[in-house]
Amino acid sequence: MDVTPETVASAVSSVASSRGRGTLPNLMAFARALKQLGIKVSLSQVLDVSRSVDFVDIGARPDFRALLRANLISQKEDFPVFDMAFDCFWREQTYERMPMETLEIQGTPTESDAPEGGDEEGGLEEAASEAMANENLQLENLDEFAVPTYSPQELMNRKDFSEMGVEESRAIARAIMLIATKIATQISRRKKVGRKGSTVDPRWTMRRSMKYGGEVIELVRRKKRIKKTKVVLLCDVSGSMDCYSRFLIQFMYGLQNELWGVETFVFSTSLSRITHLIRTKDIVNALDKISGSILGWSGGTNIGRSLHTFNRNFAPSIVTHRTVVVIISDGWDRGDVSLLEREMQDLKRRAKKIIWLNPLLASENYEPLCKGMQAALPYLDLFLSVHNVNSLVSLGRTLQKMVA
Amino acid sequence: MDLKQLTIEQVQEILLKEKYVCDRSLATVVYLSLVMGKPLLLEGEAGVGKTEIAKVLAKVLDAKLIRLQCYEGLDANTALYEWNYPKQMLRIKLEEVEHGDKAKVETEIFSQDYLIKRPLLEAIQTDGANPPVLLIDEIDRADMEFEAFLLEVLSDFQITIPELGTVSARHRPYVFLTSNRTREIHDALKRRCLYHWIEYPTFEKEYEIITTKFPEVEAKMAQQICAFMQKVREMNFYKRPGVAETLDWASALIALNRKNLDDKSVVETMGCVFKYREDLHHLREQVESRQLNLDTLLRVSPELVS
Repeated sequence: MDVTPETVASAVSSVASSRGRGTLPNLMAFARALKQLGIKVSLSQVLDVSRSVDFVDIGARPDFRALLRANLISQKEDFPVFDMAFDCFWREQTYERMPMETLEIQGTPTESDAPEGGDEEGGLEEAASEAMANENLQLENLDEFAVPTYSPQELMNRKDFSEMGVEESRAIARAIMLIATKIATQISRRKKVGRKGSTVDPRWTMRRSMKYGGEVIELVRRKKRIKKTKVVLLCDVSGSMDCYSRFLIQFMYGLQNELWGVETFVFSTSLSRITHLIRTKDIVNALDKISGSILGWSGGTNIGRSLHTFNRNFAPSIVTHRTVVVIISDGWDRGDVSLLEREMQDLKRRAKKIIWLNPLLASENYEPLCKGMQAALPYLDLFLSVHNVNSLVSLGRTLQKMVA
Repeated sequence: MDLKQLTIEQVQEILLKEKYVCDRSLATVVYLSLVMGKPLLLEGEAGVGKTEIAKVLAKVLDAKLIRLQCYEGLDANTALYEWNYPKQMLRIKLEEVEHGDKAKVETEIFSQDYLIKRPLLEAIQTDGANPPVLLIDEIDRADMEFEAFLLEVLSDFQITIPELGTVSARHRPYVFLTSNRTREIHDALKRRCLYHWIEYPTFEKEYEIITTKFPEVEAKMAQQICAFMQKVREMNFYKRPGVAETLDWASALIALNRKNLDDKSVVETMGCVFKYREDLHHLREQVESRQLNLDTLLRVSPELVS
């Protein structure tokens, strides 16, 4: 959800009616405004805040801000939204209840460069109009980059699943399930009690020996557990991949619903996370949501920059030494090749495996000659083709070998 | 220390006395965590002083520091308690030789004497005037199962040992959790904690940190170090250096008796700041190709308002 000063203002004004004179009603209203802005806040957190306001001087605005933030926010990404909402919500309140001098606050820079809720009177309108101007500017910029505009309806028609035969669709689903289970079974370092285990479990051995008067007769063993591998999907949805996109969506969707812990991203000139959009059993709705929210679908490609965004913003928390990163792209890159190479190197270091699926690989006269593909090749653990069901089945077999 | 009398300013002050420089918002959060008895989850890049603050606090509160370093596969046995099996075994053998009472042995070998306390149980059972500081370090390295288990301990501060019964905390320990964000912590755990993200320090703050830790450092060089660190954190390195690296570097330069930074000494001592071959290589390239011009960087380093 994109949060602009406008949406913040509307969220704040929508809870205005429930605001009262005391601290608690106001806190509740503020929490509700945050919820509307997409920040998860639980009641216990709000109660904790109301408990903690006794400990600090809430007239001191920076302290009050720190207090609310520490209690209500639990990830750094939400800070900019929180700051905007805080400025917007508690400003009006301050006029009623607090002396003017506490109003001087230091604006925390927001990541999106969006104008803040304003520190002075009438800042709201200004911020709103500025935001409008900003938005227009962005739209103009987009035009310059010649990203094709689209109507969601049209997109839906073009990428409709119904075009795919039922048989084919089913076959794909089966193949995906096979792949998913292959990826999902990996040995864990945690152990459980099992008859054929390799190490002795002293705790249980001791326990069992009690019934023989302390004589160790049975050895209880532990064996390794099977652990799930995480998968990150990075799908190219630029113009050159258009003819595969129906298949891609089904692949992303299928994998994410079969496996626990799949993160899905799509990229063209920029990167967007769509995990939350396809976390549903309702595929038609999911499609609707995706096409409604991804700008630059069927646009140009900048793999390097997209990977850079991924490495900077998402990889630290998502990619670990047991994550398999699957990139699906034809490798036609219009961006900076050296950046692509550096980012591939970075990613390689973080991830367990990198698999690149290239739909073009199947055609006989294809060689990975384009610069982007060339740069990425040394960092790949697997370079495979995906263009039909058979290739998916062979992908499943390869994964099985790799994980075992 | 009487917590009821504590103020945010005092927190900042006592931390500074132990050479920990912290800004107002961090001090506020630490203060709240102390007075509310709520665990504090600290996140931030590596080397910004997440672990350090717990250590320093234990010192100033005159409390015992109990540290639980998390790793993958960490389980309840290693974190909570374990029975001392060899000792139990020996005891049983001994009784056997002496033809002791079987029922008596059975109850005895499951008593406190045969219990090995691991960090979490220790934190809950600690005697003494002050509650201990429990530092659960790098929680992101442990797996989800452990997190769920921790949730239970942190909400009630009591542990049930089937053979002994329930042990509850005499004093609620001050709990600090740190995470490097190599994965996301579960919401349920986050909700039980106060949250703070420690940023890389600003130029002024980093300068203050260096001069607090090393009062003997030349002001000029300290400024140069800070300017350099600020610059490289903006650049594209695999591992951006934290405050820990800054301090390492500063102490190295002091040990080498440098009063001033120049191209040569930067390249020579870069091993303190960058720990990856690619990063060192990248830096050398940048210096050689004059992309990163040390002369201008060091000259224009912002002057401090004294």
